[in-house]
Amino acid sequence: MSANNKKWDWEIQSRTSWMGSRLDELWEYRHLLVGLVRRDFLLNYQQTVLGPFWIFFQPIMTLVTYVLVFDKLVGIPTGTVPPVLFYLAGIVLWNLFSDGFNGTSATYRENAHIFSKVYFPRLIMPLSQLSTHFMRFLFQMILLLLVIAYYLVFEDVSISVGPWLLALPFVILLTSMLALSLGLLFSVITAKYRDLANLVGLSIRLLMFLTPVIYSIDYIPEKVRWIVLLNPLTPLFELFRLSLLGEGTVTIPQLIYSVLFTLFLFAGSMLIFNKQGDKLIDVV
Amino acid sequence: MAETVIEVENLSKLYRLGTVGTGSFRQDVQRWWTTAILRKEDPFFTLSGAEDASESKQFLWALQNISFEVKQGEALGIIGSNGSGKSTLLKIISRIVRPTSGHVRGNGKVSSLLEVGTGFHQELSGRENIYLSGYILGMRKDEVKTKFDEIVAFSGIERFIDTPVKRYSSGMYVRLAFAVAAHLEPDILIVDEVLAVGDADFQKKCLGKMRDVSQSEGRTILFVSHSMQAVNNLCDKALWLNKGKLKEYGEVTSIVGKYITGVQQYKLKQSWSKPEEAPGNEHVRIKSVELVPHLLDVNAPLDIRTPLTVKFELWNMTDDVLLSAGLHLFTYGGECIFDAPSPATQCDKGVVKGECTVPGNFLNDGSYYFSLIILKNTSVSLFYYEECLSFDLEDYRENIQWYGKWWGAVRPKLPFRLEQTELVLQ
Repeated sequence: MSANNKKWDWEIQSRTSWMGSRLDELWEYRHLLVGLVRRDFLLNYQQTVLGPFWIFFQPIMTLVTYVLVFDKLVGIPTGTVPPVLFYLAGIVLWNLFSDGFNGTSATYRENAHIFSKVYFPRLIMPLSQLSTHFMRFLFQMILLLLVIAYYLVFEDVSISVGPWLLALPFVILLTSMLALSLGLLFSVITAKYRDLANLVGLSIRLLMFLTPVIYSIDYIPEKVRWIVLLNPLTPLFELFRLSLLGEGTVTIPQLIYSVLFTLFLFAGSMLIFNKQGDKLIDVV
Repeated sequence: MAETVIEVENLSKLYRLGTVGTGSFRQDVQRWWTTAILRKEDPFFTLSGAEDASESKQFLWALQNISFEVKQGEALGIIGSNGSGKSTLLKIISRIVRPTSGHVRGNGKVSSLLEVGTGFHQELSGRENIYLSGYILGMRKDEVKTKFDEIVAFSGIERFIDTPVKRYSSGMYVRLAFAVAAHLEPDILIVDEVLAVGDADFQKKCLGKMRDVSQSEGRTILFVSHSMQAVNNLCDKALWLNKGKLKEYGEVTSIVGKYITGVQQYKLKQSWSKPEEAPGNEHVRIKSVELVPHLLDVNAPLDIRTPLTVKFELWNMTDDVLLSAGLHLFTYGGECIFDAPSPATQCDKGVVKGECTVPGNFLNDGSYYFSLIILKNTSVSLFYYEECLSFDLEDYRENIQWYGKWWGAVRPKLPFRLEQTELVLQ
C-alpha cells in the first residue's frame, strides 16, 4: 500500500485549523472536564474555615455592602422591588459573568506548564472553569430563590412573575456564553501580551458600572442611556430581574442585539482561541 | 510486514528567539498583512532561504527536514546531544507544538510522557491525583477505576494514598506519577527522558515495564534518552539528531556505535602553532592540550574502564618563575569532581610540558570536561583555561542485570569482598 492513499487516523501539519478540536474529541475528554471541576471545588474548600459556605458568604457580604452604600447612603431607587432582592439578583448574575470571564481569561497563563507537556483539547480548560463558576452560580441561585420565597411569605411583597420566567434559562445561557467568549479572547491576548492581564480586572470593574447591577435602566437619564444600552449585558440583567422579580425594562430589539452580539463574539473568539492556541505554546 | 503507524515527512520547526516585547505586536500585524491579505511570502522567514534564516540570530531551526517512519511494535530511540531537537520532535508528534512545515501522520491513540507528574496538584491527595493525572493523559474514568489498585501497588505508597501529595517525599511523588503513566494503554507511547528522576530500583521497574509493553503487547514506543545503555536495551531502531537535522537512522546498535564515536571526537585535542594565536596572556600561553586514552584499539569507544592521560604544553613567557598547574574535572552539569594539583617547578622562558593520568575504573559514565589552571608560587592564578578538553565516557557493565543509570559522579573499583560465612543447614 502506498503511503499516499493510505488512511491515517490523525495528521499534524503546520496549518492550524479554525475549527480546533472536533466535538467527538471534546467528548472523549469529558472525564477530564469533570475531574477539573472536582479539583477546583476540592481546592477551594479544603483547609478553609467556612468550607462550602463561602459560596453563600461572598454574595451575602456583597449584598450587605450594596444595601448599606447604594440604598441607605446614596439612595438609588429600586422601584417596587425591595432593595435586598434587587441587589441580590444583580449580584448573583454579575458573579456568573465576572467569575466566568475572569476564570477563563487566565487559561493560557495559568496552564502553560500543562499545555507544554501534554496534549488534550485546549478548550477543556476554559470549559471546566466556566462549569465550576456555573455550579457556584446555581448554588447562589438557590440562595436567591430562598430569599425571594422569604419575602413572599413573611414580608408580604407581591411579585408578579409571568411568562417571562421562561426566559430565565435563556438569560443564563447568554450570560455564560458572553463570559466564555470574552474569556477565550482575553486568554489569547493576555498570553501574548502579559501586561494586558491587568486590563481584565479593570474592565470587569468598570463594566459593572455600565451594567444594571446596582441600578435599574429606568433611572438612567435619557441622554446617557444609550451608553448603557450599548452593553449587550444590559438587556440580560433587565430580563433576569423581569423574569424573577417582575420588574425590568427590556425591548425585543435590545434582546436581538444582545443575542447577535453574543453569537458573533462567541464564534469569533472560538476561532481565535483554536487558531492561536497552538502557536501560543511557543510563546508562553 | 508490520504496518507503518507514524510517518514523518519533511518536518521543520522554526523558533523565534528573544523576548516578545515591544514591536512584536506590530510585527505580528505586519506579517499577517503580507501573508494573509497580500498573499506574499512571509517577510520574516522563508523556507527556501533556510540558510539565511539559520544564520540570523533572530531565528533558530530546531528541526530541519526530518523524515522517517515507525512501524507498529517498534521501539525507536531518539539520540543526540543537548539542543539537537529531540524534545521538539517529541512535542510535535505529541501535538503540543505545531511544526513550521511538513507533517506527521499516524494511526492509533498517542500518549506522551514528557514530564513526570503533569497535572498533579500539590494540595490534592494521591487518590485524587491519580484520577486527575489519568484523565489528563487521556484515560477514561472506568479505565482509571479498574487499574486503580494496580497503579497504587506499582507505586508502592498504599499507606499515603489519602495524604496530600505536598507532604510526599520527592521519590514518592515520582513513583506515584510514573505509576499512572505506566498504566496508560495507548497504541503509541512517547517518552522523554523522565527516568532520570527516581531511585535506581524504581528506574529498573519502569524500564522493565516499558520493555514489556513494546515487546509483548505490540505497542510502538518513541524514547528519548541520554543513556546509550537504555536506548540500546529498549529500542530496535535509533534516530540520531544533530542540530535539528537527521544525521543517521537505522538499527540501534550501529547508530549508537556511530554516535558514541562521533561525539568522542569532540575536543580531545587542541594545539596551536604560534604563541600569538594561542589562548593565554602575557605570562603563559597554551601550546597544546590532549586527552590520550589508553586503548589498544584506537576506534574503540572510551568507557569507564579506560585510563585517560591528559598531556599539555605551554609557552612560559617569564624567567625564573615557580609554576604549577591544576587539572579540574567537571561533569557536564558543571559539578567539580576533582582538582588535581601538579608539583611546583622552577621554570624559565620556553616550553613547559605536563602530564597527568586518571586511572580507569574510576569515573562513572557520562560527559565530562577538563579545565586547566596555571599558577605562580602555588597561589597566584596566571591563566585559567576553561573547558579545554571534553569527552564522554560510555558505560560498561559485566554480569550486571540492570540497565538504569548508575549513581554517582565516580564509580571507583574498590576492594570489595562479599562472602558467605555461615550455612544454615536444613
